[in-house]
Amino acid sequence: MNSAAPLLDVGNLTVRYASEGESFTALHDVSFTLQPGRALGIVGESGSGKSSIVGAILGILGPAAQMQGNVHFENRDLATLTPKSRRAVLGKRIGSVFQDPFTSLNPALRVGRQIAEPMIWHLGLSKAEAMNRARSLLGDMGIQEPVAVANAFPHQLSGGMKQRVLIAAAMACEPTLLILDEPTTALDVTVESQILDLLEALRQSTQISLLFISHNLRVVKRVCDDVAVMYAGQIVEMGAAEYVLGAPSHPYTKGLLASLPILQAGSRGLRLPSISGHIPQPSRPELGCVFASRCPFSEPACNASPQNLTTPPGSHQIRCWKALSVGSWPAQVAVSTVAPKFRRGDALVNATDLRKSYKAFGGWAGWRRLLPSLQNARSANSTPVAVDTVSLSLSPGEVLGLVGESGCGKSSLGRLILQLLRQDSGSVEYDGANLGALSSKALQNFRREAQIVFQNVGSALNPRHSIGEALERPLVLFDLVPASQRIRRVEDLLSMVQLPLSYRTRFPHQLSGGERQRVAIARALATNPRFIVCDEPVSALDVSVQAAIVNLLADLRDEFGLAYLFISHDLAVVAQISDRIAVMYRGRICETGPTAEILERPQHPYTQRLLASAMYENPKQADRVDGQTVGTAHS
Amino acid sequence: MAYYALKRLGAVFLILIIMSLVIFLSTHALPKNTAAMILGHYSTAETQAALEHKLGLDQPLRIQYLRWASGVLHGDLGDSLVMNRPVAPILWRALANSAVLAGAAMVMVSIVGLSLGVIAAVWRGHSTDHAIAIFTYLGLAVPEFYWGLVLILIFSTTFHLLPSSGSGSVSMGFGRYSSHLVLPVITLTFSLLAHVSRLTRSSMLEALDTNYVRAARARGLPERQVILRHALRNALMPAITVLAQNFGFLIGGIVAVETVFAYPGLGQLLVYALQRLDLPVMQAAVLMMTATFCITNLAADLLYGWINPRIRYGGGVD
Amino acid sequence: MTEQGLIQPRRKRRRLPFALLAGSVIVAVLVILVLLAKLIAPYPFDQFHIHDRFSPPSLKYWAGTDEYGRDVFSRVLIGSQLSLTLGISATVVGIGLGVPLGLVAGYRRGIFDELIMRSLDLLMAFPPILLVLLILVVTPPALMKTAIAIGILSTPYIARVTRSVTLDLMSAEFIEAARARGERDWYILLRELLPNIWPVLMVEISLRVVFAVLLGAVLSFLNFGVQPPSADWGLMISSGRAFVDIAPWISLAPGLAMGVTVLGISLAGDGLRELMDPRLRGQR
Repeated sequence: MNSAAPLLDVGNLTVRYASEGESFTALHDVSFTLQPGRALGIVGESGSGKSSIVGAILGILGPAAQMQGNVHFENRDLATLTPKSRRAVLGKRIGSVFQDPFTSLNPALRVGRQIAEPMIWHLGLSKAEAMNRARSLLGDMGIQEPVAVANAFPHQLSGGMKQRVLIAAAMACEPTLLILDEPTTALDVTVESQILDLLEALRQSTQISLLFISHNLRVVKRVCDDVAVMYAGQIVEMGAAEYVLGAPSHPYTKGLLASLPILQAGSRGLRLPSISGHIPQPSRPELGCVFASRCPFSEPACNASPQNLTTPPGSHQIRCWKALSVGSWPAQVAVSTVAPKFRRGDALVNATDLRKSYKAFGGWAGWRRLLPSLQNARSANSTPVAVDTVSLSLSPGEVLGLVGESGCGKSSLGRLILQLLRQDSGSVEYDGANLGALSSKALQNFRREAQIVFQNVGSALNPRHSIGEALERPLVLFDLVPASQRIRRVEDLLSMVQLPLSYRTRFPHQLSGGERQRVAIARALATNPRFIVCDEPVSALDVSVQAAIVNLLADLRDEFGLAYLFISHDLAVVAQISDRIAVMYRGRICETGPTAEILERPQHPYTQRLLASAMYENPKQADRVDGQTVGTAHS
Repeated sequence: MAYYALKRLGAVFLILIIMSLVIFLSTHALPKNTAAMILGHYSTAETQAALEHKLGLDQPLRIQYLRWASGVLHGDLGDSLVMNRPVAPILWRALANSAVLAGAAMVMVSIVGLSLGVIAAVWRGHSTDHAIAIFTYLGLAVPEFYWGLVLILIFSTTFHLLPSSGSGSVSMGFGRYSSHLVLPVITLTFSLLAHVSRLTRSSMLEALDTNYVRAARARGLPERQVILRHALRNALMPAITVLAQNFGFLIGGIVAVETVFAYPGLGQLLVYALQRLDLPVMQAAVLMMTATFCITNLAADLLYGWINPRIRYGGGVD
Repeated sequence: MTEQGLIQPRRKRRRLPFALLAGSVIVAVLVILVLLAKLIAPYPFDQFHIHDRFSPPSLKYWAGTDEYGRDVFSRVLIGSQLSLTLGISATVVGIGLGVPLGLVAGYRRGIFDELIMRSLDLLMAFPPILLVLLILVVTPPALMKTAIAIGILSTPYIARVTRSVTLDLMSAEFIEAARARGERDWYILLRELLPNIWPVLMVEISLRVVFAVLLGAVLSFLNFGVQPPSADWGLMISSGRAFVDIAPWISLAPGLAMGVTVLGISLAGDGLRELMDPRLRGQR
């Protein structure tokens, strides 16, 4: 291939969104090239502008966006093409796959037809020919029953299958460029790993070029040759993946890599490195370095002039004037010299043979279908067994990690233990008392001692209540402090989670995701609990914010002797904070043990597979977990 | 799918039974001296008693209902008190007239309403969208009988183009016959247009904002195909339910519009019966309208199920 | 992850939707007119001007006079009180019944939900006008009775919206947090759920007011609602029908007033919907 003629050449791309006198820069002066046959990864956290790049290339930014710069693809500037000639390129020369496989297929059309459509339109194939090609494409994507899948409707397929179908549709016309926008983010790790295998195989068999957008550094490292790191609408570092991600030069890249939790048992005495603060928005790149406010190496000179992307000798492109002189990112912080060893004692929480299945309402479900109602007559068909005969115990002050993929029942288990759900059979004991047998008054005491922190930072706080009201409510409910001292206690809580006291009068929509999660943690702390169920507490947060929240949880654990049930799909995060880990698979706990032991000597095959996928190495032994049969809806 | 249809059909029967009870009981909740009200001030106790006996009002309610219900099942709807004739033939003729009117209006509303909704969604924010919004709002803003009056004022009183009242018969030729239909159908269509087109617009906008439409565009499919095959197909589902719901409003509209245009349909018959307390006619007309409404809803449900693969092919609903 | 899809979220819109602005202005003016109707009206609504029968709109009679020489403009003004009273009180009845039913159905689920929603479905299976007609025929007509009848008809719609918003909110984690700290049901219903339901409900409420005003007009047009000589809009249109060829203003003026009223309320409702539509706010 001629390296002088890039397949894709993006030059000085700037995208602004202007509405009602306010403008905000999503992309600022972004330039990069992609050579034929190569794979370029674009990494960045939410708000970094990486998805706007895809929007600009495909011309689907929306009317509010103003775009400058050029996007040359196969020697044509896509930015100046008419919609009609752009459509002749899209789908034919450029294939694209988006983040959410669950909503990217038309629910009303058969899968095969959706793959065949672009071939009929772009290649002029007859319908029968196109359908034939669609079926063989599905076979190429590693689907074992291509004929059945082609005839299926999307709701009959699992998430991994849907993503394979979408890749097939993108590859239908044999494009030269495949754009993948967070293609595996919505999938479980084991399925993610299979999709990455598939992409690697496709690269080898078709010489296709990839533009791979992701927030996940490990995924990008595995798939891509080159990497561009985005921050606040700018590329801050770009070059070969092994150098950028192996020996990063820009402080942001360093921080990002440092805050990635590693697959290793954490110690009680150590804290993760983290990046303080959050991405500024809207960015003002003309005022100097956009990262300066969060950068531990920043000095007044950083804000003096805008930073340019330069290539220091022997290095790759970096947007930092002192890149060569900064040292490594402040490493793990030791909070105590002697790492406190945790010893298990008498159980605080003891769950025995818990079982829970979701059933539709007996006789009434039938009636519901019988009576015609104009809308919403479609009742939910629930999964049969969510939690299947699970026992676990937790000592005071212990952190038990609970890992498993989506739908394995880990969230239900957390709610059963808090008695937010009632078990079908089995029992939960707290501090020696059987919760099922408690009077509602005695249960109230349990409610004060056992709290919960959720995943969804968007809905964890009532949008109509101010932060102060949200934190005060538990104090009023349990009559914990006299009315005169409530404000002071609220302020104490805010400072415990390292938020400014002025936040008391703010409302949830004025806070960032990480800040909202801090408030939710403060609310859980308000009652002086001894036990907190953390249900995916950092899964909705960016990597740099994740580490800060995990550290906060660890600080609070040590300060108040809290016990956590730490639920997550991310084995690396769980490993950082947990004393023991329980692995859950299809409603059952398949393995429990001390963190180090689980990571080093996994016994159960599922744990082994989970571990292999989480390492983001090429697992040759990867068994197919993804349900390959039509008819298993996966949501 | 067949099982689904069967269940829905069973439900319609159940509803009709309940409805017949409601209709029957509410008409019998009339003030005690129904007979006196019917006969007027000059009636005597004897004539009242005779009438009550004739109506069966002296029997227990349960027996009255069973007698009425079995009559209905045999196609015997009783005799009109005022016209002194069997109700059934009167009702069938009125029903036929109304069905023509309602059918024509429904077809018009479906075609015009869906198209306007789709056009407005595609041209969202443009002047076309605004023009459609203003036009459809006009239909919504005042009751249908008002536009009826305005149309009469323009097309009949001022320009003498179309007849303002009555109905023709097919024997007079198709032109004459349909000329009587034009104004009432336009009036009914106009009054229902807003609801259907606004909803089509919003469900179309929702469909156009989905990831699968974005994915279809990214595959370079022509915009026509994206809109018609990918977006509209999914947007139609809610639109169908609304069309069925609108049939309920159509029935309301028909009562008023038939009165304005003096069109001899079910609505006018009902008003006539209500004003004169002609119980058998009243019951029959209300039952007939309710049945029509239920059957339309059933049809919409089945159509919905047929379009929606989740219901049609099972494998989990929602 | 908090990854957005392809399109970056737009900044929050500061500007009020035009529809909301226009609608609110119309509704505000309307409310003032209704409250001050007696003061503004140039003549008593039932005053006969025998020598000025059927006089066309002029400076003396802004909207002309009717067959008894009554000033149409004054009658339309006074009539607005009847229409809005009906519209609002019917909707209040609908809210009073529908909101609690919808809340309980969505909160308790299970058998409560089934019982409540199936009964309301039954109510909706009846063509709306027939039920009101039946009630009005059976008993002597009165404004409040019409309002209650229409209110009952509105109940299923309001309950459905309330229930679906409640169901959405029930999966919100702040509700689970409230249950996890042992809040009582009434606190969750009134303090956590209800404040979040009103904004969405406002749109449905505007639709219901419109529905009540229009249905009230149809009823009095058919002579089953308000009785003469009240200055009711529907009634005025109905009695003006006979003179539509010589004095069209008798019917046209009240219709115009009704059109503006309905338009104002609908615009306000549509504007609210636009304001709250998460896709327009740029948040998921």
